[in-house]
Amino acid sequence: MTEDQTLLHDASDRYLRDSYDFNARRERIALGVYTDPQHWRAFAEMGWLALPVPENFDGLGLGTRECAILAELCGQYLITEPLIDVLAAVSTLIAPSPHAERWLGQVVGGELITVAAIDEGAGQRSKSPSTKLTQVDSGWRLTGTKQWINAGPSATHFIVLATVEEGLAWVICPRDAAGVDCEDFPTHDGRGGTNCAFNTAIEENQILLSGAPAQSALDAYRELAMILSSAETLGAAHAALDTTVEYTKQRVQFGQPLSSFQALQHRMANMLIQIELTRSLVYAACDAADGDTPDQSRFARAAKVKASSVGRKVSQEAIQLHGGIATTDEYIVGHFFKRITALDSWVCSRGEALKEFMALSG
Amino acid sequence: MNASNPYPGDYSAFRESVREFLAAGLTPELARAGERTTSVFSDFEAGRQWQSILHAKGWGAPEWPLEHGGTGWDIQQRYIFLEECRLANAPNPVMMGVQMLGPMLMHFGTETQKSAYLPGIISGDDVWCQGYSEPGSGSDLASLKTTADRDGDEYVVNGTKIWTSMAHYANWIFCLVRTDKSVKPQAGISFLLIDMATPGITVTPFSSLDGEIEQCQVFFEDARVPVSNLLGEENQGWTVAKYLLEFERGGQHFTIDLKKQLRKLRRLIGSEANAAAEDPTFVYRIAETEIDVMALEQTELRIKGTVAAGEHPGALSSLVKVSGTELGQQCAELLIEAAGQGAMPWQSEVLSPEYEGPTAAPEECVTTMAEYINSRSTTIYGGTAEIQRGIIAKHVLGL
Repeated sequence: MTEDQTLLHDASDRYLRDSYDFNARRERIALGVYTDPQHWRAFAEMGWLALPVPENFDGLGLGTRECAILAELCGQYLITEPLIDVLAAVSTLIAPSPHAERWLGQVVGGELITVAAIDEGAGQRSKSPSTKLTQVDSGWRLTGTKQWINAGPSATHFIVLATVEEGLAWVICPRDAAGVDCEDFPTHDGRGGTNCAFNTAIEENQILLSGAPAQSALDAYRELAMILSSAETLGAAHAALDTTVEYTKQRVQFGQPLSSFQALQHRMANMLIQIELTRSLVYAACDAADGDTPDQSRFARAAKVKASSVGRKVSQEAIQLHGGIATTDEYIVGHFFKRITALDSWVCSRGEALKEFMALSG
Repeated sequence: MNASNPYPGDYSAFRESVREFLAAGLTPELARAGERTTSVFSDFEAGRQWQSILHAKGWGAPEWPLEHGGTGWDIQQRYIFLEECRLANAPNPVMMGVQMLGPMLMHFGTETQKSAYLPGIISGDDVWCQGYSEPGSGSDLASLKTTADRDGDEYVVNGTKIWTSMAHYANWIFCLVRTDKSVKPQAGISFLLIDMATPGITVTPFSSLDGEIEQCQVFFEDARVPVSNLLGEENQGWTVAKYLLEFERGGQHFTIDLKKQLRKLRRLIGSEANAAAEDPTFVYRIAETEIDVMALEQTELRIKGTVAAGEHPGALSSLVKVSGTELGQQCAELLIEAAGQGAMPWQSEVLSPEYEGPTAAPEECVTTMAEYINSRSTTIYGGTAEIQRGIIAKHVLGL
């Protein structure tokens, strides 16, 4: 890490360690509050939401590596606020839009929370959405249904992927607009989800991108999402290992700490080996993206495949090595397990990433 | 940098100079020996010949300091050199002298010892083997029983060493011996340099699963060794050995060879009517392995950065050893599966660089089996995968 990156990490880590309490998180989720307004305001004040915003829009103009630092911390502290979702959307869907100026300020300031809405059901992801943006006499109209929008209940606005005459379009739409019918549901990762039907009027400046730029934005969004979800998985997996190591040192059975048993030591060593290998690949994917190198797409997919596999294995092992306590909702380690599981299928699954990796490898 | 580093910072010019050297110096016979290398050792004579060519060029021991005949290359240049040699199929010279004993001698040796042994190591005129393991002392090395009893200006050595790779070619052996039985095991060990021509030493080679002879057992019966052949102080051998073991573990670059295996795999399944290529699950496994190799490569680069910054990689070396060897096994497994029954012919002569006769299956298929068989030993030698996991558990996780 560079000196600036270390500063960013340390300051962010300090805030989350001091303020992001696991028990408060549990109580809040039980009430259906997935984003704590105070936390979100603090994120904005610390400049997190401005991280990838270009400097000409008063952003910090930082790269993927810096976003990944925050993503890793999100995993470590089990953040339920849609931070990686907003970072990915801001950087790839809003900033490149001709209407960026209209929206960016409020997003960076924390007043708007914008989450991409892509999925339309199993196996119907991104290629040709049945949600349509059509021109009508008075302007534009967005019609269709989006499903399983992760962190949807936290959003003030959805950035909807739709089909338009010239191909794809990204449309920003307030979730409380007339003709937007949302159904929220709780999710296993504590972020909540939304199914949403749209039959609503759209102004010109809500159409962020359309045609070829919308297609490249989709590619960029998916690629950034792969990297950030890998980084968040990495952070959660490492935290799950740390928790496991600490627990096995304290838990005494057969008159000795669990950590003294070689069978368990080697399993924890395996967890560490795989986590460090993943770390190398995730950081390399960030550097490839920030360096705009020709292999950046391959690296993003490799990172996603590796992080998903390792995250799954490590979080399962964390539960097994703890024993019964890890299967309770009060204990933290099962929540790493659940968030890692949710991240696996977010935006791009491990299987999709692997297939795309193979296609890129020729 | 320094006078003998011709391209400080200019890596592409450096790489070009290595390529030119390889194009001129690596004969087709030597390259064939490299290509037919199915374990860590190439054909012995080819490796020896290559070492003398490297030495003549001044590249006999790239990692050594300049004063002892090293190159003064930085870590990136050393990596490029290794990579180009491997890609061009240069054979591997027997490495126990240059890579293992050399650094020990420079660190612990007297001036007399350095000038007596270093020149023969770098030229390849002396061939060293490593006498550590014993039939009863593998992972628990400190329990070793070969004794060296002081008798005037000599030690009298009795006992046996096993897994002494290339001992049947070696004229010297560096040995861990017990010089004090009254203290705890580690505290009573010394490090001895022994001439293999010493009366009382016999060597029994034995063949590995692939039929090749690389391993030996060495017996010592009242072998008399001058006290001046002690490296480091008496009873300080464990300290010397620990330094050596770390050296064996650190600075390894598995990715170069892994990528070579993957390229071979692609060639095999790219050849016509390969059944494995038709199997989608097989193709997925290759892609997953490629991703694992990328992750390891990035980890090796991280370690290189640590070393270049003057820090010790510590237990990250153990991590790379475990992962690199296990991935090598995974690749070897994919290779025999890609070769199918073509991997079955047991034609040891095919491994010889001189052989140009017929093969019962394409040569690339035939050699996969020896590679697969030999890959099983990689997680056993140099500190087993279990020992490495123990190191990680203890030193990283604090268990």
